[in-house]
Amino acid sequence: MSSVLIKNESRLGLKLVAPAVGIIGLLVIYPILFNLYLSFFDVQLNGSKTFVGLNNYTELLGNPRYYHSIGVSVIYLIGTVIGTTVLGLAAAILMNQTFRFRNLARGLILLPYFAPVISVVFGWQFIFDPVNGIYNHVVVDVLHLTNERENLIGNPDSALFVVILFDIWKHFPIAYLLFLAKLQSVPKDLYEAAAIDGQNPWGRFWHVTLPELRFVIATVVLLRVIWNLNRFEDVYLLAPNVETLPIFTYYQAFAGIVDQGAAAAISVIQLLVLVGLIWLYVRKVLKW
Amino acid sequence: MMNKRTPLQSVTLYALVLALVIFCVFPFLQILSTSLKHPIDWGNPSLIPRIVHLDAYKELLGLMPAKEVDVPASIQRLLDNPALSAEKKQMLLAKFSSGGDVFPFGRYMLNTFVISFITGICSTFLASLAAYAIARLRFPAQSLMANGVLFVYMVGGVLLMVPLYQMSVNVGLASSAGGTIFSLFLIYLIQTLPVAMYMLGNYFRTIPFSLEEAAMMDGCSRVEAFWRIIMPLSKPMLFTVFIYCFVIAWNEYLFASVFLKQYQDFHTLPLALQTLFTSKNAIWDRIMAASMLTLLPVIICFMLANRHLSGGLTDGGVKG
Repeated sequence: MSSVLIKNESRLGLKLVAPAVGIIGLLVIYPILFNLYLSFFDVQLNGSKTFVGLNNYTELLGNPRYYHSIGVSVIYLIGTVIGTTVLGLAAAILMNQTFRFRNLARGLILLPYFAPVISVVFGWQFIFDPVNGIYNHVVVDVLHLTNERENLIGNPDSALFVVILFDIWKHFPIAYLLFLAKLQSVPKDLYEAAAIDGQNPWGRFWHVTLPELRFVIATVVLLRVIWNLNRFEDVYLLAPNVETLPIFTYYQAFAGIVDQGAAAAISVIQLLVLVGLIWLYVRKVLKW
Repeated sequence: MMNKRTPLQSVTLYALVLALVIFCVFPFLQILSTSLKHPIDWGNPSLIPRIVHLDAYKELLGLMPAKEVDVPASIQRLLDNPALSAEKKQMLLAKFSSGGDVFPFGRYMLNTFVISFITGICSTFLASLAAYAIARLRFPAQSLMANGVLFVYMVGGVLLMVPLYQMSVNVGLASSAGGTIFSLFLIYLIQTLPVAMYMLGNYFRTIPFSLEEAAMMDGCSRVEAFWRIIMPLSKPMLFTVFIYCFVIAWNEYLFASVFLKQYQDFHTLPLALQTLFTSKNAIWDRIMAASMLTLLPVIICFMLANRHLSGGLTDGGVKG
């Protein structure tokens, strides 16, 4: 290519990316830096600020609620990451078989992922409703496991587990899609060879499927940790009493005694963790 | 290798598939069922209503006949006074007829539709330009941008809510309804742009370059080749990406709640539903009917785009 063509091409390229990159720079990169700046101030909703130095950070590190929310987040992350990965893998193996109505089934299990959180949380609220819900009906009236109807979502401790179950339900389809795509590319003769070697289905799963899926599993786990670390809506809308880190940040920033500086400080710390995870993802996963 | 299945294996397979599908679909059936039940029927654990009761839907869609207005006797006497102008009478009556009972669902749906539609169009358009450049052209800082998109794509909204809110306060956008909606639109754009760029970039790479080359031999410029060759060939994918962005914007709650709180007329559906749920008008059948109507457009979109969606999501990495 002549140098004029190269020059034209690079000029066109820059022109085409400019709007998207400009918006991203203005609304993602700049806010990240602005957030760091805000974390050193006492910030009001109306925008007025006073410099307080590291005060937001020292107060935060002395706040038991902060540690509590980190603890809740850790339980939430462990539960949802393991749950979505295992269920996603199981669903992918199941849907990789041939059977009648397979396309219908494949479509239906993607629904939870696309449905608006706001709609489905009410369905889940109703299922666990202490008076009308099917959960209490089954546990108390049918199986007689306990004598009293419980409000699982009303109690923050049990609500955490409802939220975990809800998020597994909502997000396993994505893990499932990634696994299914990989499964379809596993060469059939690997399974045939394993079958000739006398491996039963479990042995074939253990010796063929799992090693082939190793990298996708790592990808799914890492992506889920990254997304769920920031997850707000599912938790807040289903059970606002489950205080994961994002919910705690939201309360600091927009509810009760507003302290946007403290919220900014939490976000800065969380972002550092996130950058570490993203670095791991880029370094390890994308290099595979 | 899966051709020879014993009957036992077949039964197990279908049972597992059925269990999985029920797990996925049950909450939707619960919503549908409750939305159709009469309040006396809520304690009935069966999903099938004893009588199908459509009042909740009628109410939300404004199909209910106007209720008889209850006017206290003292006010009635005032109204009967011939000295009172017709205009004043209307104003008095309005006070009693527009109780807190009215939930302008149609308006919220329109708000949500407009902002999601504009977000979808703008995001798909800007992303297709950028994705084409990153996939096909060479320019300075290209790989930095390609990787930067990945990074941006993983920074969640929660980390940006404080600075974005403060920015919109500082430039004065937060003080008017129009400015607030504009801020919200920009925020939805960045929530969807990286995903859209990813999906489209990977798709454009699957189109053979020789097609553009041939067009350029015939005298098209690069831009014309993009418009005439790449865009038409990518129609299904562009549509899928549009739907994806539309749905993300349609479902968004966090920023809507932060930005639109004080502008009730401009609430989007997720925000309005949450407000309805915590208000005194929270009645299960109405909430469920509203949920159902919020779901419906998403399900329609999903059915329209399903064929390309699975592929696009796995190729493009996945958000959410």
